[in-house]
This record gives sequence, structure tokens and C-alpha cells, in this order.
Amino acid sequence: MEAEAEGDVSLREFTEADAEALFEWASDPRVVRFQRRDAYAHVDEARRYIIDHVLPHPWYRAICVAGADRPVGSISVKPTECRASVGYRVAHAHWGRGVATRAVSAAAAEVFAEWPWLARLEAIADVENPASQRVLEKAGFTREGVLRRYVVLKGRPRDMVVFSLVRGDREEKPAEEANGP
Amino acid sequence: MEVTLRRFDLSDVDAMMAWASDPEAAAYCRWEPYDSTEPLLAFIRDTVLPHPWFRAVCLAGDSRPVGAVSLAPTADACRGELEYVLARAHWGKGVATAATKRALTTVFGEVKGLERVETLVDVDNPASQRVLEKAGFRREGLLRRHY
Repeated sequence: MEAEAEGDVSLREFTEADAEALFEWASDPRVVRFQRRDAYAHVDEARRYIIDHVLPHPWYRAICVAGADRPVGSISVKPTECRASVGYRVAHAHWGRGVATRAVSAAAAEVFAEWPWLARLEAIADVENPASQRVLEKAGFTREGVLRRYVVLKGRPRDMVVFSLVRGDREEKPAEEANGP
Repeated sequence: MEVTLRRFDLSDVDAMMAWASDPEAAAYCRWEPYDSTEPLLAFIRDTVLPHPWFRAVCLAGDSRPVGAVSLAPTADACRGELEYVLARAHWGKGVATAATKRALTTVFGEVKGLERVETLVDVDNPASQRVLEKAGFRREGLLRRHY
């Protein structure tokens, strides 16, 4: 399994053996607060999720830190036409250290390289989730606007901020030095 | 400007060709102009008739359609995507604005769980942007490299 690394954050594919690690953040109300799915009550739900949703998914990765194999979060990219949307979650114990930002940067690099047809990577974050909005800004995404009443979360319509990273955003700036005529 | 909305019928195919064959009407739509009525009949039969919400736009007192308006479902029941098209002969008279307003009133009453109607307009299509603003839509932002 190839791993994409950024700082001390690396991405790898999930296996069923990761069910307990996934359960740790998927059962945490702080982590799932802005997700449609309710917190898991039993590790079997995490195992089912890996089998039914993660393994068949076009692009779903475990986030690992500091060379440890046990994942601390997940990140997935879902393609549609010339676009794809990225979603992520990180165990609460690893918040506030740039893990999600580095995971998003690494995932963006990998999918833009892997999918030449990809023109635009987008993400949405709840208006009341500034931490997630900062992750995307620090990862170089552009805030485009607020989509009003975009999803219904646990019975309530939510406004979402939409962000994007387009292929041109990631091109290296030309060298500033001139080497002569 | 008054319009009525009604369901399409296969017999509308000839009226539909007025906009479906017109490259200018199709310019900012996601479909290619039609060369003949056979594929358009197939479109009416296979897409329009079974569609959850697809309506013919008629001028008040006239049963012949001059355009179409539809609400497409999305990944979430709370959100629908509106699209419309109008024969060029009826541009610039407020028909699209009236049709869009009528469609909005109707779908918010009819479509269960609908919280939001959205639509995407090309940056190079200011006429359509004005239609939507006049119909009560709010511009939220610019999605870069969306298509």
C-alpha cells in the first residue's frame, strides 16, 4: 500500500483490522457533531462501515501520525464529473496540531496526481465549525461562499461554507531569480 | 407576464424543438442541441415523463409550451436543483422570471422535505443571473472550475 506523507502525517488504505481505531473517533460525539451519522455505540458498527463503505470507496484513507500504524482519523475523496469532494475526521486527542490540515494537503496532492481529469477539489464545513474552516484555509483552499440550508443534520437545516482548491492553485510559482539574458 | 406550468406530453415534441434545436438556447445548458425529433421524443419518454418534477412553461391562455423548468433531486432530499430553458422568441419579456417564480412557489408546497432550491449559472451568462435575482434567488458565491 502506497503511503503519501506530509510532515509526520501519512495516509494509507484501511483494513478491517482498523475497526477499533475507527470506532474510537466514530463513537465520540465531539468528532461526529457535524456529521449526519450518529455516534457509534459498538465496534461492530465500525467494522461494518469499513466493509460496506470504506473498502469499496473510490478513495478512502486512514490518517496516521508519527510513524505509528494505528490510524487517528480518516479522509475520503469522492469524485463527480470533473470535481471531487473531500471529507475528514480526526480523533479528539489529536486536534489542534495540524493533523487534518496536513492530511488534506497530502490527499489533495495525491488525487490531483492520480486523476488527470480532476479540475476542482471542494469541501464544505458547517458555519458553526470554524476549526474545520481553518483546516481548509490553511491547506490552501479558497472560501467561495455560504450555501444556505444545504443539508439537514439531525433534523435541522444547516448553512455550509463551501471551499475549493482548483488545479491551477497548486502550480508552483515561477522562480523569481533570473539567470542572465 | 403570466405563465402556467403543466406536465409535458409526447405531443409537445414539435413545440419543444423550437428551443431544443437552438444552439443559442442551449448555449448554457448541459445538453447538446437536437437535430431531429426522434431523439427528442426519446428524451421526453425516458427522462421528462418519469421525472420527479419537470414542467412545460406556457404563456397564459396558450397551451403551447415556450420552454421548460425542472427541479432535479440531489444527494439530499432537502435540496433540489432548478434548471430552465426558453425558446429565443420569448426572451426579454419576463417569461423566464415568471416561470421561475411560479416554479419556486409550487415546489416548496409540493416537494416533501425541500428546504433549498439552488441553481448554477455560468459566469458568462448575466441574463440568466438577472432572471434568478428577480425571481428571488440569492447569489451565494462563485464556484471555480465547476464544469
